[in-house]
Amino acid sequence: MPDYADLAGRRFPAGTYTLPEYVCWLWSDAAQLPPVYEAHPALAHVVASYGMSVTVQDILDMMDAAPEGGVTFGEFGVEYHGALRAGATYECDAEVLEVERKRGRRAGVFDKLSFKVTIREKGSEAAVAVCTNAWIFPRANGEP
Amino acid sequence: MTATHEFHVGQRVAPFVIESVEPDRIKTVAAILQDPTPTHLDPAVTRARGMGENLQTQGALNMTWFVEAAMRFAGGADRLVSFNVRFLDNVFAGERFECTGTVTAIDAGAARAELELMATANGRPVLGGTAVIKT
Repeated sequence: MPDYADLAGRRFPAGTYTLPEYVCWLWSDAAQLPPVYEAHPALAHVVASYGMSVTVQDILDMMDAAPEGGVTFGEFGVEYHGALRAGATYECDAEVLEVERKRGRRAGVFDKLSFKVTIREKGSEAAVAVCTNAWIFPRANGEP
Repeated sequence: MTATHEFHVGQRVAPFVIESVEPDRIKTVAAILQDPTPTHLDPAVTRARGMGENLQTQGALNMTWFVEAAMRFAGGADRLVSFNVRFLDNVFAGERFECTGTVTAIDAGAARAELELMATANGRPVLGGTAVIKT
């Protein structure tokens, strides 16, 4: 069965993302919160996702998974060192921390992909936020 | 908002509640995230997978509500230091989402408080985790 442990240390393409004010508004509206043109702290996830120039589909491809394969978030965390700002441009560095193959009572065999994204405002050395992600990839019979 | 900065261990985090998750909002989040997962788009897929009749929310949306509970308790976004959330189960359109918790530790020197948070959907545990806020 394919082993994805070798992905540890792989860096995603670094990139930039400008957080549009309308996305801030849409996000708060979609979350059934009062819509505002300010950046909700949870948008660190969106900044990280786009800033590292990788889409959900790209990550699925890296793990040989399909959209209908039942991939889920396992864990997500953020350390904030500053506030996200609507309209600001962010640079993101990202790397795979590890891929672990596990077996759960409910989930069966799955791969847990952990990766970290550091978000900096463009032109700054200081991190605004550091995001840690863990995604779960079900593996029927241990196969992708 | 619960804008008190005087926290104590054992203090309850005021519940943050979404009375009924609206399906169209899930589609908006799918568009923002460019997430092609069909259970966020087509209830026929959730039905075919035995997941019920309604769209599944994205983890990022559930996490936003988790963060919102911590933020409101802390007194604002600028008082949130960090959080970690574990995704325990799915949330679906039409469900009642509630996130609450307790203060588990105070670090007076660092002016920080740690929260243990748990969220449910129709009473079913869906998220668990922690947050650190400024005191």
